Amino acid sequence: MDITAPTIILTLIWGVAIGCVYILLATGLNIIFGVMKLVNFAHGQLLMIGAYLTWTITYSAGLNAYAAILISMLVVALIGVAVERLTFRRVLGGDKLNEIFVSLGLIYIFENAAMLIWGANSKQIISPLGGMSLALPSISITYDRIVAVFVVVATLIAFGLLIQKTKLGLAMRATSQRNSTAMLMGINVETIYMLTFAIGAALAAVAGGLYGIIFSFDYQVGALPTIIAFAIIILGGLGSIKGAIIGGLLYGIVEQLATLFFGGVWGSAVAFAMLIVVLIIRPNGIFGEKGE
Amino acid sequence: MQIKKSLTSFLRSKGFQIMLGSLAILAIIPILANNNFFLYVFTLIFVFAIYASSWNLLANSGQGSLGHAAFLGIGGFSSALIGGSISSAVIASLGVTKMPIGVLSVLIQIVVLLLGGLLSAGIGFLIGLACVRLKAWYLAMVTFGFSVIAGTLSSQLDPVTNGINGFAPTTLVPSGYPFYILVISFAVSSITAMSLIMKSRMGLAFRAIHGNEAEAKMIGINTAKYKLIAFVISTFFAGIAGGLYAYFIRFIQNDVFSPANSFLPLIMTVIGGLGTTTGPIIGSIFLVSLQQTLALPSVVETLRSSLGTFFPGVSNVGPPIAFLVVGIILVLIVIFSPKGLAPLFRKFLNYLTSEDKTKRAKKQ
Repeated sequence: MDITAPTIILTLIWGVAIGCVYILLATGLNIIFGVMKLVNFAHGQLLMIGAYLTWTITYSAGLNAYAAILISMLVVALIGVAVERLTFRRVLGGDKLNEIFVSLGLIYIFENAAMLIWGANSKQIISPLGGMSLALPSISITYDRIVAVFVVVATLIAFGLLIQKTKLGLAMRATSQRNSTAMLMGINVETIYMLTFAIGAALAAVAGGLYGIIFSFDYQVGALPTIIAFAIIILGGLGSIKGAIIGGLLYGIVEQLATLFFGGVWGSAVAFAMLIVVLIIRPNGIFGEKGE
Repeated sequence: MQIKKSLTSFLRSKGFQIMLGSLAILAIIPILANNNFFLYVFTLIFVFAIYASSWNLLANSGQGSLGHAAFLGIGGFSSALIGGSISSAVIASLGVTKMPIGVLSVLIQIVVLLLGGLLSAGIGFLIGLACVRLKAWYLAMVTFGFSVIAGTLSSQLDPVTNGINGFAPTTLVPSGYPFYILVISFAVSSITAMSLIMKSRMGLAFRAIHGNEAEAKMIGINTAKYKLIAFVISTFFAGIAGGLYAYFIRFIQNDVFSPANSFLPLIMTVIGGLGTTTGPIIGSIFLVSLQQTLALPSVVETLRSSLGTFFPGVSNVGPPIAFLVVGIILVLIVIFSPKGLAPLFRKFLNYLTSEDKTKRAKKQ
């Protein structure tokens, strides 16, 4: 591809669309970290399950892909509840390595179960807007990518309202600040943990549905987005939602530009190099709070 | 002085005698079994036992790496490449067409493996510098990211590494029983060395850091220094394991940097028993024999004819089912038996020995 002004603009727009999907995943990961102080390395596998469920609902029930995302959101939220109750709750607050080990076990469970259920071949969700694109002079953008940006913005607004305006959001914020004090104020911290994990999982499911509409995916699709979402929240600072949004857009654009200028293989390597450099300079992320 | 003391106490310990005894038995088993498959599986078990033990040592200092495959790959590629150039120099100077197998080639093999380990440790030192200040999950991410970068670099430097298509290292120690002996000698010395380190004062510092880094710092442990030392030691042995792996399977490719290879030592160690000497070995025996049994053509065929109809989208149903179960076992072990299978194994041994004692008491 020649590097001309239109291709760079197109790359930027693609970067924003992909960045949006990463933002949703990163926001879910971030809220779970903020409230539970837990890094769920298996978060991308929830994205993968969300994508497969959306595919199944669209394919077998013939439902509109965007409506199917809503259903898969609910199912993945329930899976999230089960995961939190059965696994993470039992290792929370102990050795941090145990949380990493449990996440890894979950990755193996989800990926292999998905492979057995849905097969090893890659799939793509067919949306009602599939194949159509907005034709501007020398640029064409598929409608699906534009819709994805709107879905992400709407989801994030709903999420922001939930956190800022509702009692549940207040309880979540209180728990994230200090869970023992929250407990003394009559908040059932365990329920808040469960609901937080469910919300994070639901966000991952939306990300999965959108990902599956834009790209083809298989059972291994979750691994890289988890890492990317993690890189984003490190760039933006763990626990900061605004940071995740800025970090997500930055990441999407950098990745797409790196792919454009250096070739596809460099996309993720450049992103990781950026992550490592940031962590060497600031071990708690760019906007992260100071540790002990 | 400390090392000498711990060495003598280690040499006298029951654990060491058990290890020596079991290794002597293991050296004989393949001859008795006279079966190439067993020999293959046993060799692989010991290669991965070194690899998992190296991961275990690092985790024992509180650093859970998710990118150890980078060091497996660096060790593998560098020893295979250096071995290739040394043997072509030898071939040229002797004026022969093929590398003669003998004392010289065995020596070259050992030197090349050590060089691979040293190179891996050198790079491990640089990555360790970045890692010592990081908390658990940041460290996990950085190490994982490094393994991805290492794979990308290896494919970008393809004219040097030949990693995209892969290549076979020059044969220096003949495959089969001779290579098995090479592997178990490396395994005994490496695992003994790591076990001694973990039992020494340094190992105590590692465990203190794992327990609580702030407290360890407060009682005067230079946490950054010890974490870096753990990183270098661990990556050295991971590099040696990588070299052995490349020379054993007679092939090395960029696939070696895959996340699956990074997760393998973690799963082996956690299932076997984190922080114990026997844990990684037990885990390696478990996982390697599982993988190799599932790769047997007859097993693949049986599984396909019996279970294939339930899972039409999968051509080989064995591995996904097995790794689904491995994932469940991993989660169950972390939740219910955080010390892994090693304590259960030890309890079983104690049970056997105590039964002997009661029998003896009855005879008297």
